[in-house]
Amino acid sequence: MRLEKCWFCSSTVYPGHGIQFVRNDAKIFRFCRSKCHKNFKMKRNPRKVKWTKAFRRLHGKDMTQDSTFEFERKRNRPERYDRNVTMETLKAIKKIDKIRVAREARHHKMRMKGKKGIEQKAAERELEQGISLVKAPLALREESSLTLSKIKVKVSQPQAEYQMEE
Amino acid sequence: MRMKMKVVDNSGVKWVRCIQPLKGRKGVRLGDMIIASVQEAQPRGKVKNGEVVYGVVARAAMQRGRCDGSEIRFDDNAVVLVNKQGEPIGTRVFGPVPHELKRKKHLKILTLAKHIV
Repeated sequence: MRLEKCWFCSSTVYPGHGIQFVRNDAKIFRFCRSKCHKNFKMKRNPRKVKWTKAFRRLHGKDMTQDSTFEFERKRNRPERYDRNVTMETLKAIKKIDKIRVAREARHHKMRMKGKKGIEQKAAERELEQGISLVKAPLALREESSLTLSKIKVKVSQPQAEYQMEE
Repeated sequence: MRMKMKVVDNSGVKWVRCIQPLKGRKGVRLGDMIIASVQEAQPRGKVKNGEVVYGVVARAAMQRGRCDGSEIRFDDNAVVLVNKQGEPIGTRVFGPVPHELKRKKHLKILTLAKHIV
């Protein structure tokens, strides 16, 4: 029994699930569900389909290089059954999973780091521009705390008179 | 009016048309033996046009379930020509072949095949 990876979305295919497609050049494509299978039949490239792992890895949304992935490499050498080795492996699988999940969470956090600041700035700008939707402009003018302080600009008088004579 | 299938051995035949499933059931699936009529044969082959031959379905585009619950399907419909005992007429088999044939005791075909899936 072997847990395979779906060719399209890279999720695990458990026994009893999915379809295997064998091309005439003997290359095997495994799919976890009909969604992936149908996308494959439509000749879609998984690297361009947003919800697949291939896309996410390519565009830096998910962690790509990590030592925890080394443990999951496919080895075609059959191992002789040893009870101790199996027990240790099962324990190790749990621990490695935990570490990997923690690292992925950290990667996600780093990726979302400036998000709050950007959102705050965008909200402030939106408020400034659309303040008339919140409070009527008349009310704003009357309430001195809400408007910007009036700036005094010096206008030279003789210039104005000259222009009016014209 | 049955299906036209590709022949993937070197018996000299290109296409056969399935006439009847050998077991006499409703349809033919992957690994079944069929009676077929030769549609197109190479001029200097062992088998001539219009002959009635036996064949084993080596590849099917319809998915076939396996005992572990998964399903397998191939790109095309292909047949290996055999004699009445189930031994292949040709000496080579092209393309991938499912290991469903082991259960059906078509071991000779499996040994000739390059890829077993």
